[in-house]
Amino acid sequence: MIDRRLMPHVDWVLLGALYLLCLAGLAMIYSITAGPSGEAPRLVYTQLTAVGLGTLALLICLAVDYRALADRAHIWYIMLILLLVYVLVFGVVRGGGRRWIALPFFNLQPSEFVKIGLALLLARLFGEGQRQVPTFRDLTLGGLLTAAPLVLIARQPDLGTAVTLVPMLALVAFAAGMRLKIAGILLACAVLSSPFVWTYALQDYQRTRIKTFLDPTLDPRGAGYQQIQARITVGAGGVWGKGFRQGTQGQLSFLPVAHNDFIFSVLAEELGFAGVLALLALYMFVVWRSLDTARKAKDRLGMLLVVGVLGSFVFQVTYNITMSAGLAPVKGLTLPLMSYGGSSIIATLAGFGLILNVRMRRFTN
Amino acid sequence: MARAARRAAAHAVQVGPKGWLLDMMSDAAVDRQRTGLRLGVLQVGAGLVFAVLAVSFWYLQVVRNAQYRELAEQNHQRRLALQAPRGVLFDRDFNVVVENRHALSIAILKEHTADLDKTVRLLAAVTGVSEQQIRDRVNRNRGVPSFRPIVVIEDASLAQVAAVLARRLDFELPGVLVQRVPTRQYPTDGLAAHLLGYVGEVTSAQLAADTGLRSGDLVGQSGVERAFNRQLMGTDGERRVTVNSVGREIATLEEIDAVEGNRVQLTIDLALQKAVEEAFHALGYNGAAVVLDPRTGEVLALVSLPAYDPNAFASGIDRVAWAELNTNPLLPLQNRAIQGRYSPGSTFKVVVAAAALEEGLVTADHRIYCPGGATFYGRFFQCNQRGGHGWVDLRHAIERSCNVYFYTLGNMVGVDRIHKWAVALGLSGISGIDLPGENPSLVPSTEWKRQRTGEKWYAGETISVSIGQGQVSVTPLALAATYAAVANGGRRVTPRLLKAIDDGHGWTPVPARPPGPPRLSPDTVAALHGGLWLVVNGAGTGGRARIDRRDVSGKTGTAQVISLEGSKLAAGRTDLDLRDHGWFAFFAPRDNPEIAGVILAEHAEHGYLAAPIARHLLETYFAKRDGLPAPALPAPPRAQVASATARGDGR
Repeated sequence: MIDRRLMPHVDWVLLGALYLLCLAGLAMIYSITAGPSGEAPRLVYTQLTAVGLGTLALLICLAVDYRALADRAHIWYIMLILLLVYVLVFGVVRGGGRRWIALPFFNLQPSEFVKIGLALLLARLFGEGQRQVPTFRDLTLGGLLTAAPLVLIARQPDLGTAVTLVPMLALVAFAAGMRLKIAGILLACAVLSSPFVWTYALQDYQRTRIKTFLDPTLDPRGAGYQQIQARITVGAGGVWGKGFRQGTQGQLSFLPVAHNDFIFSVLAEELGFAGVLALLALYMFVVWRSLDTARKAKDRLGMLLVVGVLGSFVFQVTYNITMSAGLAPVKGLTLPLMSYGGSSIIATLAGFGLILNVRMRRFTN
Repeated sequence: MARAARRAAAHAVQVGPKGWLLDMMSDAAVDRQRTGLRLGVLQVGAGLVFAVLAVSFWYLQVVRNAQYRELAEQNHQRRLALQAPRGVLFDRDFNVVVENRHALSIAILKEHTADLDKTVRLLAAVTGVSEQQIRDRVNRNRGVPSFRPIVVIEDASLAQVAAVLARRLDFELPGVLVQRVPTRQYPTDGLAAHLLGYVGEVTSAQLAADTGLRSGDLVGQSGVERAFNRQLMGTDGERRVTVNSVGREIATLEEIDAVEGNRVQLTIDLALQKAVEEAFHALGYNGAAVVLDPRTGEVLALVSLPAYDPNAFASGIDRVAWAELNTNPLLPLQNRAIQGRYSPGSTFKVVVAAAALEEGLVTADHRIYCPGGATFYGRFFQCNQRGGHGWVDLRHAIERSCNVYFYTLGNMVGVDRIHKWAVALGLSGISGIDLPGENPSLVPSTEWKRQRTGEKWYAGETISVSIGQGQVSVTPLALAATYAAVANGGRRVTPRLLKAIDDGHGWTPVPARPPGPPRLSPDTVAALHGGLWLVVNGAGTGGRARIDRRDVSGKTGTAQVISLEGSKLAAGRTDLDLRDHGWFAFFAPRDNPEIAGVILAEHAEHGYLAAPIARHLLETYFAKRDGLPAPALPAPPRAQVASATARGDGR
């Protein structure tokens, strides 16, 4: 499948770091959900399956030349848009959102895969030819192409995932050489429009979340609860943590959805600041290594593809970790590679398949 | 190409001396370098973000670790108080008087009720208790921390508990729990109710007064329960448990057992107490009785009727019952024995006699002629016997209760010396019994009147005082103590209830306060004993207390409820019973008395009707002492039963 000559160029170090993160996630999921006698629950196996499927997706994304994939980016993009529309109409409703497509073994969350499709499309848009500075036309087109899935995902409603598309666009445009003046203007526009967004674009529950973030005591038993508990969970960990499976906040479920959105809080409680530093370093390594790949990329397309994939990844990682310390409004945003959730794992690994792909093929023509 | 050149020039300026190299670079190379710069920015940016995250976690986890660890602990650890059972109360023969049973109470844990309103509604429906009542209890405990259960139904019935538990399993009533609470078990029928008292939740005043108490503690609120609360209370235990986010207990971390309160032995003789109360009931009287051992001051029985059921207080009395007790015109909550004040009537004559003898004004043989009345200070005072008693000496004056004799004696002694001897024998002021709420008794003096009203004492007032009327008002307890003093040769006794304490290491007797020095000369004592013996065994008014070979000695008396003129005025205008109370004060046997006391039968009209109660209790006492079968209850006089039933207040 893969050209044997390419094998030495696979970034085994990055791959190792990725699977270490998956392992850490599995361990924490086990810690939270295992029964008193230590029997592994269904969730661990599901996650393990997801990692397996993700590996498959990674291999596919690695095997096919990224240029070939990018050439058909518009096709993937249109297919994903159709899936999003399908979800809006026929999707499975869970936890107040219509986000999933029911499949025989698990529910597929197309919005996770949109990130890859959009990364490919944006990379192609901004990397085509050897233009050094994106034209205004490019930027407008990129904006519209991002806005379409964003609106569809936001309608599910899943503002968290929708918003991850914005840093992707921003970073790709930045890396593509967008003029800083334009970037500044766009940033100013965003800031100035925020009151309108607050009034017209946000749902009531979203406004409540932001309000309670600013003052969790407004609703300590309701919306502010998770945030307060998250901070307690993390703070109680100390330097060395309470020990694996010894946490109280996560184990006794004072922290809701601990295996999912708040997995990092659990890690912070059980493994302490030491564990946090180790994990942060691991994520940091993944990011830097990927940026190194971008630097080494053979062409602008590859470079931008890496930045695009990385854009939503970094945003999601930093946001989730900030939230897990109770320092950001609570949003249903997973921690890539660690949180429980099949689609997230598969899509993230597939995305890194593309990054590995770019690095592996940096010498090929 | 021109643009590229400009860009290259710009770079040249930035890069400085090496700028010339750029001119030769290809377009792609320039682009690559600029991209590299931007990627570098991203790299540094990501590094900064992660550094900020690391610092944030360091701040939360290391700097503020202690605070958050405590918060986490508060989340999942609960300290639950284990209520200590109060100490068991025994009587002088180690019969159990008050013990504990386990009651079940239903409580709400606010912390785990998502919808308090709904929980209250459902709980009310399930248990059949009014919604309002539950809501009141919750509201009253608004300040209590949300993890501490608020008891809403005390002493719940098994049916209620079963109903709640069935619901709880369905998770319909989260936050409702059933607790086992040690609860006081008092004797039935309100036996010794006032003596024993009752328990209740600590009041804010009590909290302020005693730092050893905590909010929510159950403390004695009256009687023995209050007097010896410190001994009886015990030490609450504590259970530290781990709970999960829905409050289910996961594990017990530590358990400190509750330590039961000290066991307390009272001086009370339960059989005697019962005999007195039964005699009251049999004769249909309310009233009070105090029975003492005159040698030590130990209280053998202390009765106040009507009584209430202290068991109703044991697990929190409901408002209706409490209001009823408080508004009942018969004042069932008042402990008449130590709080009720009555004029002692003729029982007071022993004090006047003792004063006259001890002051050396008369001897026991001093004779006075009684024509049926006498005039003092321009006013005619009647004797109790219209035709007069003729010539009587002191003994016979006591026997026949001759008013004229004591008018004369009182007039000779004067009110201040009467007061002095009343104090000496323990009739004025408080007796010092180890019970809370004793009211002081009053025997007036010129000093007292001057202080009280600013007026001087009129000698004419002394005449009424001489026969225990006028301003004289005493508690049954004080009168009993006085007769105990008369019985024991004039040594003032301090009545007491506490006999011994067992703090878990065996019984430690509580040293008695010895009776005071003898204040009466043997001659005086002999004269008083002689007269009081005649009252019962001679031609006196106490014949109904006579028991063969027991040499019961005593004195009847009548406590006016309202003056003769007053009763005419009030006739037909009030539902209140205005008939006089009957006293009988006694001791036995005459020589070396071992039991003394007082019976007050409300509205018995005359003291001789109170005497059968004394007789019954003395018979019970001697029968028990000598191992004889218990005596039969006195039969009520026909008229008494009829009138008591007619009034509807009799027992």
